[in-house]
Amino acid sequence: MNFLLNLFNIPSSEYNDWEIRVTSGLSYVTWTILAILFIGALFCFWSGLSRIQSPRKKFLIFGLRVLTFIFISAILFQPELELKKTRELKNTVAVLLDNSKSMSIKTFPEEITRATILTKAFQANRQYFEDLKKKFRLEIYYSSNQLEPVSLNDAIRLYKPNGVGTDFKNVFKELKKRHDGRSLKGIVLFSDGGDLEEGFEEISPVMMEIVDSLEAPIYSLQTGSNESFKDLSVSRLDAPDFGFLYQPIKVEAVIDAFAVGNKNIPVTLKEGNKILISKNLEIKEGQTRYRVQLEFIPNTLGVNVYKISVPLISGESIISNNTKEFRIKTVKDRMRILHLTGRPGWDSRFLREVLINNPKVDLLSFFILRSLSDDVAASTSELSLIPFPSNLLFSDYLASFDLVIFQNFKFEPFIEKKFLENIRAYVHNGGAFLMIGGELSFQGGGYEKTPVEKVLPLKIHDRMELFSEAEFNAQIGEQYWRHPILRLEKNEKQNQVAWNSLPKLNGLNAGLKAVPGAQVLIHDGSSKTTGSSPVFSILKFGKGKSMAMATDSSWNWNFLKIGEGGSGRYYQTFWNNVVAWVAGGPETQSLLIETDRERYAEKEKVLMKIKTLGEDFNPFKKADIEIVIRSISKKIEILRKRLTTDENGEANFEFLPKSEGFFSAEVKWKKESETLNSETRFGVFSNSAEFEKPKINNILLETFAKISGGGYRVLKENSDLKDIVFSASKVREKTGSATFGLWDNWFSFGLIVGLLALDWLLRRRSGLS
Amino acid sequence: MTLTSAIIPSKAWAIGESSKFRIPQILYEGGNPKPRPDAIISLLAQLAKRTSVNVKRQEINLKISDPSLFRYPLIYLAGDSGFKPFPKKEIKILRNYLNFGGFLFIDDNSAKTNSEFNKSVKNLISELFPRSPIRKIRRDHSIFRSFYLINRVAGRAEIQPYLEGISIKGRTVLVYSSNDLGGAWSRNKLGYWNYDMVGGGRTQRDLSIRLGVNITLYALTLDYKKDMVHLPIILERLRRYNSP
Repeated sequence: MNFLLNLFNIPSSEYNDWEIRVTSGLSYVTWTILAILFIGALFCFWSGLSRIQSPRKKFLIFGLRVLTFIFISAILFQPELELKKTRELKNTVAVLLDNSKSMSIKTFPEEITRATILTKAFQANRQYFEDLKKKFRLEIYYSSNQLEPVSLNDAIRLYKPNGVGTDFKNVFKELKKRHDGRSLKGIVLFSDGGDLEEGFEEISPVMMEIVDSLEAPIYSLQTGSNESFKDLSVSRLDAPDFGFLYQPIKVEAVIDAFAVGNKNIPVTLKEGNKILISKNLEIKEGQTRYRVQLEFIPNTLGVNVYKISVPLISGESIISNNTKEFRIKTVKDRMRILHLTGRPGWDSRFLREVLINNPKVDLLSFFILRSLSDDVAASTSELSLIPFPSNLLFSDYLASFDLVIFQNFKFEPFIEKKFLENIRAYVHNGGAFLMIGGELSFQGGGYEKTPVEKVLPLKIHDRMELFSEAEFNAQIGEQYWRHPILRLEKNEKQNQVAWNSLPKLNGLNAGLKAVPGAQVLIHDGSSKTTGSSPVFSILKFGKGKSMAMATDSSWNWNFLKIGEGGSGRYYQTFWNNVVAWVAGGPETQSLLIETDRERYAEKEKVLMKIKTLGEDFNPFKKADIEIVIRSISKKIEILRKRLTTDENGEANFEFLPKSEGFFSAEVKWKKESETLNSETRFGVFSNSAEFEKPKINNILLETFAKISGGGYRVLKENSDLKDIVFSASKVREKTGSATFGLWDNWFSFGLIVGLLALDWLLRRRSGLS
Repeated sequence: MTLTSAIIPSKAWAIGESSKFRIPQILYEGGNPKPRPDAIISLLAQLAKRTSVNVKRQEINLKISDPSLFRYPLIYLAGDSGFKPFPKKEIKILRNYLNFGGFLFIDDNSAKTNSEFNKSVKNLISELFPRSPIRKIRRDHSIFRSFYLINRVAGRAEIQPYLEGISIKGRTVLVYSSNDLGGAWSRNKLGYWNYDMVGGGRTQRDLSIRLGVNITLYALTLDYKKDMVHLPIILERLRRYNSP
């Protein structure tokens, strides 16, 4: 080495190693051709020396030629000298401490958790790891679905079995990536082997491949045992996301039972503290999995939280999996609409088509097909007409309808006047009523000074002015463009274009005026001085809603529009919006709170958006609202805060739940004389999948050891790990280098020329040319 | 007990002329589009007399290409001889009209089997709905119970004992009668019937008028008679009506 350093005049401290490398880029084919040429040339040359008698001289000349060819070949190889600075590296040993949730499971008969076994055994072998650290680069990781480096000193102090489920494939892949190109001499794995993706029978080929690729022995230290493992759990639940009010909902629970013995247990479904249903389950020894179907009928609308539980058994390994909570959104199955039409006409025909085609509507229609003076020229048995069930509809069953429509309908003689009071009370108590125009509506229907008139958004102020025949364009009240009933298109500008594109209406019930509190969403735009006539108006009456459409020509928006080359889409949207407004969907609320999702993982922020809208559904700025967050699971109030909405009537709120479970967020807004509130519910879920397969997977741990050439043992608190040893073969790492060409210099070329000259001289002396 | 049919006191509130029910007759090229010129006015008169429908007895004649076509969701096409195929533009308009809410009643007034009018109608229908062949209308169709309970398909001449039709998405949009219903309805201003019935008398005419009323009321009310609340009573009456 020193000779080389002196040769190249380099200080001896700079490099401590050397290497000769061949840098020629010639291909094997070229080399083969050259070798054949050299051999051929030497053969010819040897033949040419036959005239030389002295064998000594003959071999000397031939030797010189061979030497020359060797040097030429050496030049063609383009050799280089590399002087290197290298340092010695320690081999790495990785220690993986499984910190997944399953490590919190108790092991028997000691009745200590797997995590306790791990920490105590690690502490007991602290000196072993200190010694290992001197010889090797010791890397310690917490291991669950990923690796988290930790120092030797902190490994036990910071250890908590709270990692997300075990995923050995990912962990080993990450380990390989971290040691790519570096020597990993071994892995010490503290784990219960609870990888959900791996079975208890055999290891998957993919896993085998990954373990093999590590090229390091794995020493599996099984923490805990399956001895006396006892557990009863609700391991899985199949429940729908939503159900219908008063319609049965089926839920299927999977119950797992390990070493529980023969016994009967109740499987209970609760809403809050109220038991909805309980079923007896017969647990038999030898069978571990059971399916239980539970059926219940929800009787409250909205998002409701339910709980399925099995009892705690003495000596259970896991107690947190005996209960499972879930949420179901309960909605009305369909809106029941009673549609009464005074006489058949196109307006009622087209409206009926929209309602019957709305999947959320259950429609009951009655058409008055015959008048008193009509002569049907047939007996009743030849007619399809049925008795009008006035008493049933307007006394017994009225409350079962969500919306009652009187379309061009004169109540007498079909409905006794006393039943009109029932309609008023029905709306006041939360029902909805819609009167649609025609000559038998409003004044023409005799509704003046009846309880129905009190409900309507329009008051009859001129009983003589009945009907206007003039054509008119529907005009939207300037402040109502954002009203959900008028939303034909989501985009406000497109919505205006849509309304302007609708055909004219003809035939308006006249002599009507909006009552205080009513909103005239559509008017006829007839007079700017005396005020336009209302076309479509709405009113909140008591807890209910009422509407009036003062024309029988809204079907123009459908069929005439088709005749103009358009479609009846806007007509259908308008009436479906009316139905949606009656149903009171989220888009019809003045106060709304929404979360960005319905389900969150632990430690995830919940983002809430609150909207405040005025009566006209324009943003209500600077509204003072109060938000209250409650834990439904724990039945406690967690947070109460006052907020103010911005210029757009919006407020955002972030909430970081500290525990899993179901939560409710309620906003309250004191708006003039009424207090509005809106509520949303969300769930925070920890990953509890680990408890679905809570048993130790010793087969997996044994296989890791077997295919990697390591070892396997069941860890005890006082286990001695000294016999786990790793080969400490040295690895050197290059930190610097310099290269020198050995062929592209005068010395090499001079040597070849000298050899050829000597060869020529000897040949001349021997009498050869 | 009150019948839905029972009592509307009067039609004193006869306001809103545009809301009144009318049936335009379709004009076309070739053939004879109005062999029964009083048919529609007579049917409207029967509707006014027998039902609560508020009619306007006004004769309206329209071509398919008329811009006011879509003001009338029920149209009447009749004839007694072959007619020229409708222009493509009119076929498109008529298809649109029927697909999106309109109703067409076609009446063969020729009183002949396999008439030239019948051939022209079948050609028209195959142009209109090439993928939906015209079919016999079943006896449990709402047309046979929309006002009267009908168990016999009549007409001035009973050429075929059934109606034919085309339905789209559960709605019958076209009904075709070969039995000259218009001839049975037609009455002059003095109240006399314009045409004698073929092979039948007063009953056959009355059944023809009943069928006309039912077809009209079907167009105006669709399948509402199939709503669950109506079904039990109607089925019971049909059972009694059909039993000897």
